Amino acid sequence: MSVSPEDEMSAAEFALGTLDDGERAAIAARRQREADLDGAIAAWEQRLAPLVESIPELTPPQDYLPAILSRLDGRLRGTDDGASNVADLTRRLSRWRVGAIAASGLAAALALGIGLRETNRAQMPHEFVAVLQKSADAPAFMVTVNLDTRDLIVRPVAAPAQTGKSYELWIINDKLGAPRSLGVIDQAHTIANPKLAAYDPAVVTDATYAVTVEPEGGSPDGKPSGAPVFVGKLIPTGR
Amino acid sequence: MSTITQTPDLVDLLTRVATRDRAAFETLYKLTQAKLFGIIARILVRRDIAGEVLQEVYVRIWEKASDYQRGKGSPIAWMATIARNRALDEVRRAKPVALEDMPDSFEPAAEEVDPLGSRERSEQLVALMKCLGQLEAEKRQIVLLAYYRGASREALAQRFSRPVPTIKTWLHRSLLQLKDCLSS
Repeated sequence: MSVSPEDEMSAAEFALGTLDDGERAAIAARRQREADLDGAIAAWEQRLAPLVESIPELTPPQDYLPAILSRLDGRLRGTDDGASNVADLTRRLSRWRVGAIAASGLAAALALGIGLRETNRAQMPHEFVAVLQKSADAPAFMVTVNLDTRDLIVRPVAAPAQTGKSYELWIINDKLGAPRSLGVIDQAHTIANPKLAAYDPAVVTDATYAVTVEPEGGSPDGKPSGAPVFVGKLIPTGR
Repeated sequence: MSTITQTPDLVDLLTRVATRDRAAFETLYKLTQAKLFGIIARILVRRDIAGEVLQEVYVRIWEKASDYQRGKGSPIAWMATIARNRALDEVRRAKPVALEDMPDSFEPAAEEVDPLGSRERSEQLVALMKCLGQLEAEKRQIVLLAYYRGASREALAQRFSRPVPTIKTWLHRSLLQLKDCLSS
């Protein structure tokens, strides 16, 4: 079990928790297929784990056990693989949305076993926006996604112009493995044919979006040539 | 707390949870919820989000219980890793944690780990604290702030008034120093 010094540091920082969003997603994806990297992360988790002893207990504000048990029931009942994805997604989104998603509607759909995906789609937000940035005060691109139409619109905010190079947009998600290209951002800073339709809504909304600088016309081998220069996640716009 | 770490019952419970034993799962939850919530709530300041993540973590523990390997650490360490990773995913996905949400002075070595305390602690923690003690105070604080609070490089850079690349370099050096120290 050995990894490069660079990966050893990524593993250490993954375990410590200091990687940023894009790096964290990339390492999490690689760890699924690279046993050595996974082993290096696990070794770091073990090195640091004794600190857990020193963290004081804190009683949760309420008893979550009934809610957890009903989630287990929901999982057992969900036969459609997409069902748990939609349930996960719905839960996650509800945290960031103003106005709660009708949880009772979800429960009813589970109980009746009706087409979850379609039922809940109606209750979920359809439009999402991500601000891709290098740091909190330097937004570069705005990405808008419409889940119904799978439209993706890229708008420049303050991305510096590249001469002889192209910006390329990537979607990063554990479920996808390696980062997948969504296309090259052209002079007008839009993408002609974003390849978004192929992805599951749960993947689309949960993914990290990253922009790399590539040779003119885009990455020659379909993989990012370097680290992302701008990254961001989608949040629902409230529609 | 360390009695939880030491008790063999958690190994037994986790083994039973792996066989889909609902009663064992309920007992496991009752014994460990405050520990895991303590871990999660320190990283995710908002209690409602911490509660949500706690629920997801226990669903994951239910699903992954059969992955637990006895030789690779205590059950609580295994569960804590799941909890930390979920909380970290969440905090990185959300907006950066506002610095005001972090305490002004954070010296966990003093506040959280009292070496003279009467609580029993594991050999592993003693060894790790000894190695952490060999780091410069500021660098030790950075490592602990990251571990306990899920502080990002950016948050650490602001708090310690250093550029992000400096923080990254410090983290790498500190982590390598810890690794060397722990293996010696």
